[in-house]
Amino acid sequence: MAADLSPKVADGARLRHANLRTALAVTLIAVLFFAGVIAAQFVGDSAVGMSVVAGAVLLFLVFAIGRHLRK
Amino acid sequence: MSAIPHDHLAGHDDAHGHHPTGLMRWITTTNHKDIGTLYLLFSLTMFFVGGCMALTIRAELFQPGLQIVHPEFFNSLTTLHGLIMIFGAIMPAAVGFANWQVPLMIGAPDMAFARMNNWSFWLLPPAAFMLILSFFVPGGAAAGGWTLYPPLSIQAGMGLDLTIFAVHIMGASSIMGSINIITTILNMRAPGMTLMKMPMFCWTWLITAYLLIAVMPVLAGSVTMLLTDRHFGTSFFNAAGGGDPVLFQHVFWFFGHPEVYIMILPSFGIISQIIPTFARKPLFGYASMVYAVASIAILSFIVWAHHMFTVGMPAAGLLFFMYATMLIAVPTGVKVFNWLATMWQGSMTFETPMLFAIGFLFLFTMGGFTGLVLALTPIDIQLQDTYYVVAHFHYVLVAGSLFAFFGGAYYWMPKWTGTMYSEKLGQWHFWLSMIFFNITFFPMHFLGVAGMPRRIPDYAQQFADWNMVASVGAFGFGFTQLLFVVVVVKCIRGDGAKAPAKPWEGADTLEWTVPSPAPYHTFETPPVVA
Repeated sequence: MAADLSPKVADGARLRHANLRTALAVTLIAVLFFAGVIAAQFVGDSAVGMSVVAGAVLLFLVFAIGRHLRK
Repeated sequence: MSAIPHDHLAGHDDAHGHHPTGLMRWITTTNHKDIGTLYLLFSLTMFFVGGCMALTIRAELFQPGLQIVHPEFFNSLTTLHGLIMIFGAIMPAAVGFANWQVPLMIGAPDMAFARMNNWSFWLLPPAAFMLILSFFVPGGAAAGGWTLYPPLSIQAGMGLDLTIFAVHIMGASSIMGSINIITTILNMRAPGMTLMKMPMFCWTWLITAYLLIAVMPVLAGSVTMLLTDRHFGTSFFNAAGGGDPVLFQHVFWFFGHPEVYIMILPSFGIISQIIPTFARKPLFGYASMVYAVASIAILSFIVWAHHMFTVGMPAAGLLFFMYATMLIAVPTGVKVFNWLATMWQGSMTFETPMLFAIGFLFLFTMGGFTGLVLALTPIDIQLQDTYYVVAHFHYVLVAGSLFAFFGGAYYWMPKWTGTMYSEKLGQWHFWLSMIFFNITFFPMHFLGVAGMPRRIPDYAQQFADWNMVASVGAFGFGFTQLLFVVVVVKCIRGDGAKAPAKPWEGADTLEWTVPSPAPYHTFETPPVVA
């Protein structure tokens, strides 16, 4: 049986929440990078600081996009 | 974060069932098509502002000696030309295309956050105004190059503070735009449109948006530290206080190299839409194209120091960044191969968008090859800060990004305006651009190899001939772009044949299923993608 793809009222609320979740996650990455690059300079070892931040974000991207590939 | 069926107005945060007219329409609009138009017109305006600066530079360099501008002003021109073209012309143009096309191509009614979309755009004009205003403050505009390297940027006048502020604002605008695009693509695709069924343009923009999210805050952080060094007594980059100016270069290029891909990936997406349409064949190797774009984006994070081979790095660092940079040629080669394979045995026709796409392919590949030359550390040490570098990045960003944007504009203009553009003017625009572009920038390879440094208003006599040729080409290229303005104005005024819903026989994406011009509201009922 084909899935019912017609819009529903509940879908609107779900979509808004999904949008907000996505936006918050992405904003968090931006804030992390902004604060991370300055904090790394204060700590003194910029290479380690930036590697940790970049690694965390890349892992996030792999998971965030990877789980969508089958949908 | 999954694609959820949506109804009109449910998926985004603004009800815009009715809209004001006149100026208020454009100031208050939350409609993605209006905002896309604003972005595109803004970028075209800034393209001409930055272009006028380029022509002043080329006029000064027409012959040796100081003729037209003071050396300090010349330095400001090169700096502001770079900043305006990158942040004012190329990036907003790409966002303009995304605003118009992404919702139409994925079957969404609008962007996810419509009010934020309006705000993203309206941050740009004040930022651009501040950049231009910096010419008129004491000390003049920033003059240390668009890279804002210390110590020059620490010593500069008030113009640099305005530049930093403008960069912050433009960065915030880019981040907001990226959040909107990521959210729209991940959550608002039409039912049945999986990520691996999305048009390539949407894929390239999804990845570009992630790049922007990762690197714009780094730029913001680095210029914030520059600002505190200038005014609040810190010494991040100030050698006099124990800071390290080279550190700024590392942090800046951690932003700066992905930025190059931020400017070129949306162009890849546009080209990937145009070539299959006019070859009348599906894109060859769709999945490999997606993985190639993702690979380019990831690799772009680990190659930044190839911009600074001459600062004094350990040999292991030089080797790592050289090989990592050369590695990018692999996914880029996959893309070029796939575009060529798409054309292979296709029923090709050569309308203006296809001409620009082929021009892009030809010239961008040349820019890519000179990039490989510059990736080789021993050669780069010789060519660092010469006109060879100037030639290289103009082949990538003018013949790459700009040609793709022209191609995209001709491709989608019938959908945007409801009027077919003048094919005759379009063809003239392409051929004159192609010829004058090469007259301008090809000789710069010779100048660079001969040792002419960049960012100088005067030069030795032996560089005179090729500089004269380049200046003639630059003026030809500049005036040719007025043809594009004529084409756009004619389309906006409806001066031309009426465009059908699908003017291109080989086009198969969702935007061609709505009438031309695209109605103010589209996909109020989401389409179902098989």
